[in-house]
Amino acid sequence: MSDLSHLLDGEPIVATAGTDMLAESIEQQGAQVTRSDWRPPEAGTEAALAALAADGRNKEANTTAVERLLAVRPQLVDVSVARDVFPDMTPRTFFHAGPPLTWDRASGPMRGAIIGAMIYEGLADSPKDAEAKAARGEIELSPCHHHGAVGPMAGVTSPSMPVAVVADGAGDGVAYSTLNEGLGKVLRYGAFAQEAIDRLHWMDAVLGPVMSAVLESRGPIDLQSLIAQALQMGDDGHNRNRAVTSLFLRDLGGALVDGADAPVDQRAEVFRFIDGNDHFMLNLVMAAGKLGSDAASGVPASSLVTVMARNGTDFGIRLSGTGEEWFVAPAPPVDGLYLGSFTEEDASPDIGDSTITETVGLGGFAMAAAPAIVGFVGGTAAGAVRRTLAMYEITLAEHPMYQIPMLEFRGTPVGIDAARVVRTGVLPQINTGVAGKVPGTGMVGAGLVEAPMECFAQAMRALSATLD
Amino acid sequence: MIARVEIHPGRYHDSVRLMQASKALQNVEGITDALVAMATELNLSLLADMGFDMDAVADAGPNDLVLALRAEDEGAIATAHQVLDDALTHKTAPSGGLDAPDPKTAGSAAAVADANVVLLSVPGEHAFVEAMEALEAGRHVMIFSDNVPIEQEISLKTYGGDHDLLVMGPDCGTTIINGIGLGFANAVEPGSVSMVGASGTGIQQMCALLDDAGVGVRHALGTGSRDLSEDVGAASTLQALEALEEDPATDLIVVISKPPADPVAEKVRQAAAACSKPVVVTFMGETTLEEGAGEVLAVLGKPPAEYGTWPAANDDHRPGFVRGLFSGGTLSSEAQFVAAPILGEIGSHEGDEGHTFIDYGDDEYTQGRAHPMIDQTVRLERLAAATRDDSVGVILMDVVLGYGANADPAAELAPLIEEAVTAGAAVVVSLCGTRGDPQGRDAQAAALNTAGASVFLSNAAAAREAARLATARTSA
Amino acid sequence: MTARAVQARCTSLLVRVPAVASLALRPLFVSETATASVLGASSHAVWLHVGGDVVVVSTRDATRLPNGVEIAATSEAGLLDVVSHGASVVVGPGSLELGSLAVDLVRWWDPRPALPRTTSDDLGVAIGGLPHSVPGINSGALRSALVAASPDDLVDASMTLLGRGPGLTPEGDDVLAGALAAMRTLGTALGSRAALTMLDDAEGALADAAGSRTTTFSAALIRCATRGEVAAPAGGLLRALAGRGDVDSNHCDLQRVGHTSGPALAAGIVLGAQSLIEAETTPNGGVQ
Repeated sequence: MSDLSHLLDGEPIVATAGTDMLAESIEQQGAQVTRSDWRPPEAGTEAALAALAADGRNKEANTTAVERLLAVRPQLVDVSVARDVFPDMTPRTFFHAGPPLTWDRASGPMRGAIIGAMIYEGLADSPKDAEAKAARGEIELSPCHHHGAVGPMAGVTSPSMPVAVVADGAGDGVAYSTLNEGLGKVLRYGAFAQEAIDRLHWMDAVLGPVMSAVLESRGPIDLQSLIAQALQMGDDGHNRNRAVTSLFLRDLGGALVDGADAPVDQRAEVFRFIDGNDHFMLNLVMAAGKLGSDAASGVPASSLVTVMARNGTDFGIRLSGTGEEWFVAPAPPVDGLYLGSFTEEDASPDIGDSTITETVGLGGFAMAAAPAIVGFVGGTAAGAVRRTLAMYEITLAEHPMYQIPMLEFRGTPVGIDAARVVRTGVLPQINTGVAGKVPGTGMVGAGLVEAPMECFAQAMRALSATLD
Repeated sequence: MIARVEIHPGRYHDSVRLMQASKALQNVEGITDALVAMATELNLSLLADMGFDMDAVADAGPNDLVLALRAEDEGAIATAHQVLDDALTHKTAPSGGLDAPDPKTAGSAAAVADANVVLLSVPGEHAFVEAMEALEAGRHVMIFSDNVPIEQEISLKTYGGDHDLLVMGPDCGTTIINGIGLGFANAVEPGSVSMVGASGTGIQQMCALLDDAGVGVRHALGTGSRDLSEDVGAASTLQALEALEEDPATDLIVVISKPPADPVAEKVRQAAAACSKPVVVTFMGETTLEEGAGEVLAVLGKPPAEYGTWPAANDDHRPGFVRGLFSGGTLSSEAQFVAAPILGEIGSHEGDEGHTFIDYGDDEYTQGRAHPMIDQTVRLERLAAATRDDSVGVILMDVVLGYGANADPAAELAPLIEEAVTAGAAVVVSLCGTRGDPQGRDAQAAALNTAGASVFLSNAAAAREAARLATARTSA
Repeated sequence: MTARAVQARCTSLLVRVPAVASLALRPLFVSETATASVLGASSHAVWLHVGGDVVVVSTRDATRLPNGVEIAATSEAGLLDVVSHGASVVVGPGSLELGSLAVDLVRWWDPRPALPRTTSDDLGVAIGGLPHSVPGINSGALRSALVAASPDDLVDASMTLLGRGPGLTPEGDDVLAGALAAMRTLGTALGSRAALTMLDDAEGALADAAGSRTTTFSAALIRCATRGEVAAPAGGLLRALAGRGDVDSNHCDLQRVGHTSGPALAAGIVLGAQSLIEAETTPNGGVQ
């Protein structure tokens, strides 16, 4: 039966946007109405939104894109060496987190990480030497994202580093990430002290090869399953990773103890290393996210956000329908809690590719599964739930696997729609750690940050220009 | 005297709520001037006109709320802030459990209850995006907003036509589906007469006349004021006609519009003729709604109606022209159509000499104000002015009742009508309402009549009376 | 204390809710205030005895009944919880008061579904293989009576069905009600004068029989059915059988009503429809 006949045969159920008077009149007649809290879209995006609506492909394009994002089955298949997996990596190429960046614009932690990596690779004798060479342009810098990779905080990836290889069990895609060093004086926070360099050497000599042997022995590890379980144990997949790391260690455990072809003392070192690093899995969760992100890219007319990433200076995003184009704006300040005697003054702007997690329904988008996160980023548990609930307004789907027990196992909001962001003014919520601006300081605090509206406004205008 | 201008960034409220808030602020003791509005270009120029210092708003944009006050003292300002907070606190949408945030778009609100109609009254330039989203989700759309570009209207109606979804509007003020009114609508008795109309007030008047004659209404589908233009080609009208033809609950269809362009009128007449059910076509400007209603009654086999009338106690009045103060274009046009053959030329602009009928729903008079069917301020001023104007002998006004309209228009009008009648002017009211209307039709009529006006449920009859009164006195 | 005074005293305590009411109930709400008694109450519905008639005040998530007043709230809002057996009920023009709950009748709906005209052939196709009986209820006599369009046979058959089975509306009653409603509404859609005349002639006796043999509530619904006034889901099925709407989904919706009511009503409707077809095609089946 036609839709119009159906309308005339029953009583209308109405939804309103605009003046409340119209909704009130309907209620006075005892009929059903739901109001919206409507506001005009972000200034400068009206024409783009109208063009997208007139074009007509956006809805289906978004459905296709988010389906592809959700269809990947990330599996950790190997740990290899950067120079062996990245065809575009040269002895003097370093990858970094976030959108494209030059040395002169780089923040403290990013510079510190580049300096540290240069020393690690033997390209410089000292920090001063490294700085001078980098300033002269002797190192080529390229975003991890351009190479199918992601990296937390500075995310600096250099040729000798071990990289996790995450493959799609349901397709051909592959994504990569470095391995997590732990907290304290670590390269990704911009530390280049000997301690940090020594650890990097240990990682490429021991950690990488042992993990490779473990995977050889027991086969690939299904990352999605670990993440889904961890969400129901109070992790958020971005800043709370203790549960998922613990589950991961259990998965490795058998082969670590007996099976992996590596010296027993090395296997013990690896066990102790992962055991002592709550955030070990973060890099792998990020790589799993990158897999989905890449799969969803390149659908014409789709306004799905495939990437959100920061390089310590800029915040950048990408949309499916505009492929590899970056839309950047200055990285916004973090609203957070500071450790010890640190204050905002000590903070470096937001940095890292870890916002790939918010892009795939984790982190700030799963806070309701991890209310304890507020001990880290501030706020109240009820506020954590509200923030997640607010994200359903700007996302295209509910995750089929990542479920939030206290919302009656509702799937996390996944698939950020840039069009909805500019229409509603609701910005993606991100939980993040804050790095000290003086290189090597390490973490100074943590908090909440919203992706900048400017990125989405630019992106929508660019998307609109691709329509004909 | 203290002047204060404040910006509240990121707070958005719809224009009607803000106008009501402005009005409330102006009524605060100690406040001489007040404006609260979104900082659009238009509102900022209003602010400048009011003589406020524009420096404070230099960086304000359309998503920022601006509050401007001129007060006698700080106490008045404090009170004003309180009044503003009260006025802007709005009902939140049902959240269904855990403190969920309100839906932010019509689309997400529609998803909450799986709505089948999305009703939009957002600013016209933003209506298309919301409407298209609704249609793509398989929901019918009613666009109350005007100022929607015609290409967008055509685009929406093309999509709707292809997907069996009805697009009502833009500029659609009235729709009734199974007795439930959307927009400005009167309470109707259940019946088997249905309507399709490009004029909201036209639909309302027809409902009122039929109601008085004991005829109920099933559906009244608004098509928006431009549907019968050549560009739009009666898309929604034809779609609605087809649906009503198939609706077993509809026995008779009425089509209401101002006269369309010839090719479109022809299309509509042909579609009407092809209907197996009787179709009464009323193009106002060729005929009146009263005549249309009469045709309906004839088809139904009912006797012709005598629509309710409350005559004025006193027939005596001063000589002079007819001053028509209308809240909308439709009734004003119909009144002109009826009265012109009797009165001769009738002007449509303030300041015109001789008889003038003004539409106070026109953009010119509604800047910074809600529609005159809600906010009578401008018409009340004009009523007082007409009283003082010796060249005016007869004042003709429409008062439209129903859901969405002013809760008690007679109460505001009565004192001024009394003054007018005391000063010697005759006052004729065209009262558009049904017996079931929330304001209480008969109580409103009685109050207006007690104040000295003659009241007519038929707009055509009111116009005829105004013309008769004016002509009767010119020969005195 | 007069009803008015009670009203006045209670005004400040009243919770008001708008409601839509069945047109069939209109005569009860135009005259002066009268008192009514509560027959029963749940969070979904309150059954009232008003001047010899039964009125059901229900929430929006309950089934809309032909003798119903539906308030603009779901049972979750708990508005009807304030009403208990024995609560004071005042019925007046345009409103009724149940204790501290004031229900304003702002709108009316027609419980007689509007059906398009149809033919026996089309009706037969629409019915398809839908069930026309329920286990434990013998509707043979009813069917014969309907095919013959005999008012006396109809009344006799109803005696064997009324009150049969458990529940507020016994299954036998529901089958009968479904059949009567089908005869009235589909009979009109087919232009079957014999069927309509039979109903008119039997109306009084049926009402009497129902009054003495079954629950007050069910008797009220039988009376409604004779006039073609039905619950909304039943109206949906009748309309679908006449060619407007999807038969299967409307049939499903009706099946879900109540525990046994829905399926029994549906079966009765189908039985009535089949009887109309049979009457038209049987050589001496009824006078056309």
